[in-house]
Amino acid sequence: MRKLLSIAVVLLLTLTVFIPAIAEDAAEVAAIKERGKLLVGVKADVPSFGYQELGGEFEGLEIDLAHKLAEAILGDPNAVEFTAVTAKTRGPLLDTGELDAIIATFTIKADRILQYEFSKPYYVDAIGLLVTKASGIASFADLDGKTIGVAQSATTRDALQAAADAAGYSMEFAEFPTYPDLKAALDSGRIDCFSVDKAILMGYLDDTTVLLPDSFAAQPYGVAVKKGNLGLLAVVDELIMASRANGSMDELVVKWNLPTVDWSVVDQYGIDLWAEAEELAANPTPTPAS
Amino acid sequence: MTGPFSQQNWQTWFSDWTFFADGFLRTIYISLLALMFTFLIGIIAGILLCGNNRIILSLLKGYMSFFQNTPLVIQIFIYYNVLPKIGVLLSVEAIGVLGLALYTGAYAADIVHSAIKAVPTGQMEAASSQGFSYLQTMFFVILPQAIKIGLPPMTNQAVNLIKNSSVLAVIAGGELMYRADVWSGSNLIYGPTFVMTGVLYLVICLPISLLARWLEKRSVRNV
Repeated sequence: MRKLLSIAVVLLLTLTVFIPAIAEDAAEVAAIKERGKLLVGVKADVPSFGYQELGGEFEGLEIDLAHKLAEAILGDPNAVEFTAVTAKTRGPLLDTGELDAIIATFTIKADRILQYEFSKPYYVDAIGLLVTKASGIASFADLDGKTIGVAQSATTRDALQAAADAAGYSMEFAEFPTYPDLKAALDSGRIDCFSVDKAILMGYLDDTTVLLPDSFAAQPYGVAVKKGNLGLLAVVDELIMASRANGSMDELVVKWNLPTVDWSVVDQYGIDLWAEAEELAANPTPTPAS
Repeated sequence: MTGPFSQQNWQTWFSDWTFFADGFLRTIYISLLALMFTFLIGIIAGILLCGNNRIILSLLKGYMSFFQNTPLVIQIFIYYNVLPKIGVLLSVEAIGVLGLALYTGAYAADIVHSAIKAVPTGQMEAASSQGFSYLQTMFFVILPQAIKIGLPPMTNQAVNLIKNSSVLAVIAGGELMYRADVWSGSNLIYGPTFVMTGVLYLVICLPISLLARWLEKRSVRNV
């Protein structure tokens, strides 16, 4: 009897210790708590989103969001370590487990959802066109037969190609690894137009260049975590939805001088993308070579 | 299986193989043209280096020092973005061929020069005693022997040139590495992409490396 009782006590104690832990934290979130630090990949060359100052400090809307996430998980907004990533390095860094999350102007796309877990959008941008004043190009129509420079690992090319096809224009595309490479190619006349997301282009606007009025394909940005890391994803989603509901996300958008976001449109976009991803997973079709 | 190397990712890669095949052929095309010019630069500069014209010598030394001691990426970037500012707009292919040839040529010149020097001086003396002119001696006596000595290191440079052609990815070169970057970037499937891109470079470079090793063994045996 005594033995039974002691077993019962031990069992009960074990349960009281473990059940709340299971209910509260997924294993991935527990790992972050144990480490005491959130590891986030951010952009270093996109003013207003993720930009690294000469002193090494990062700043921008995505940096602020990362601080909020650290506060939500660890209770301390400064318990976050930033790593500069590019469009090319952000995926592998998640897969190897070197980073917990990527908040780096990562556009949510159906085929990308098959590779990583994406949060609900925290911002939505549109593709813009930057040209030199000297070129005299005034609208998308003037780009017929011209060469467009886009960033590697960006969604720009597909969106512009679709718009060009619809209008019956022909365009050449050249893809470059970094935004400064693109600006250099525009200045040297290698490309006629530098096209990435509008908020990114704003950072490269100067005396010699002009942003065309045209906008293409809304680009919803999401936080990406490793495929299958649903525990962390749930925390991120909760934070983003709460920040959107209480207006603090809008405050950040205003703080960084970004065009305001209509969240109802964003959600429509989001739902479509995840449905599209599910369909894609069910009937895998080869992606067309771009 | 999930993750970067999932079966689905491999299938997607193979369904787009023609995109990589185009890049592969372009890498071979640019490399072959660049190799021809590299040999040309190497032989001409190597022979001139054996002469004793002070001006030519210092010009050649300047060329070799500059191209051997600056990164190829920067040289390529300058051809692409700086030359247009002074009115010289070269195509990406031309930059690839010219850039790789000038860079590798700086090493090839050294190889040809030392290969000529490695031919015993008695050969030169014997040829001139038979009434050969300087150029005749070079082409009929010295160079045929120098080629044997210089071929193994030159073959290594050929391998380097092919691998270095991947630098053209930074100026949207359209070759294999560029295609790998672009394709993996657009759908985030980088596992199979970079493994297979590596394999494709290996397919070109490994046979040449093995040839170099064989040539080296043969030349050691013949000495």
